[in-house]
Amino acid sequence: MSQVYFQDVEPGYELPPLLKEPTRKQLDAFTRVWGSTVGRFTSDEVARAEGFSGVILPGNMTMAFLAQFLTEWAGPDGKLNRLDVDFRRSVQPGDKLTCAGIVTDTESIDLENRVILDLYIETQKGERALQGTALVLLPNKP
Amino acid sequence: MAEANPTDTLDFDRSVIGVDVQVGTHQVSKEQIIAYSRAVGETNPLYLDEKAASAGPYGAIIAPPLFFNMLNLQPGLDPKVKFGTSGFDAGQHAEFFQSIRAGDTIAAKTMVADVYAKTGRTGTMVFTVRRTTYTNHQGAKTVVVDRISVRRDLQQ
Repeated sequence: MSQVYFQDVEPGYELPPLLKEPTRKQLDAFTRVWGSTVGRFTSDEVARAEGFSGVILPGNMTMAFLAQFLTEWAGPDGKLNRLDVDFRRSVQPGDKLTCAGIVTDTESIDLENRVILDLYIETQKGERALQGTALVLLPNKP
Repeated sequence: MAEANPTDTLDFDRSVIGVDVQVGTHQVSKEQIIAYSRAVGETNPLYLDEKAASAGPYGAIIAPPLFFNMLNLQPGLDPKVKFGTSGFDAGQHAEFFQSIRAGDTIAAKTMVADVYAKTGRTGTMVFTVRRTTYTNHQGAKTVVVDRISVRRDLQQ
């Protein structure tokens, strides 16, 4: 895993996007680990009765994609410190998702190199399913 | 004249706001972390490979940041919001401290941090913010998360 350094980024820096295409099998595995029996996540029939075209992913599963996106970018010596996300639209298995982010501010306070980001997940239809902000700590360049 | 605040007339139990209650304790297994990591498509060996993780900085498999969502808890106090015909999860605001490791025992406490109403173009929505603090068996904070849920009246 490569390492990005605080000195490498500035406002306007765009993170390399992460593409995700969650499958029904992954959704089923997720609800099993969670122990969730919420119908809209586990049953097409219930989801359809609620107005969806089939099962949808829980917000905390799609939000986990943003956490993966950030921690992979931050590298082994970076740290995800805060992640604030609004769930805006539902996501279904088979959707092609792009996790994207841009640095909006950087500051060094109390020996912490803070990078503030705007983030979103966009579907193949160009709709923003999740949107939010994050604070990531990055190491100094050696 | 100031506009009327829709929260002022909202019917809910204001006495529960800010009151922390213990909502459960969980022992975290490596199997659970690995299954979660696979389900969300993580590839980091610190989450998936016991051998690599043991030789790494934490000495054990650690959990991805949002793993805490898998720990099922009791619901906590109910603000008994009397509004709306349907509800959904609107988001999460999470702050991360120590990583959760395989073998940790995680205790959680929850409070209703806020209940407020907002009126916009599509009518009134009522937001409930539940703040949960997760602590490991050494007493160190691992995560503090605000979960925001919304109720709206689809008949309005």
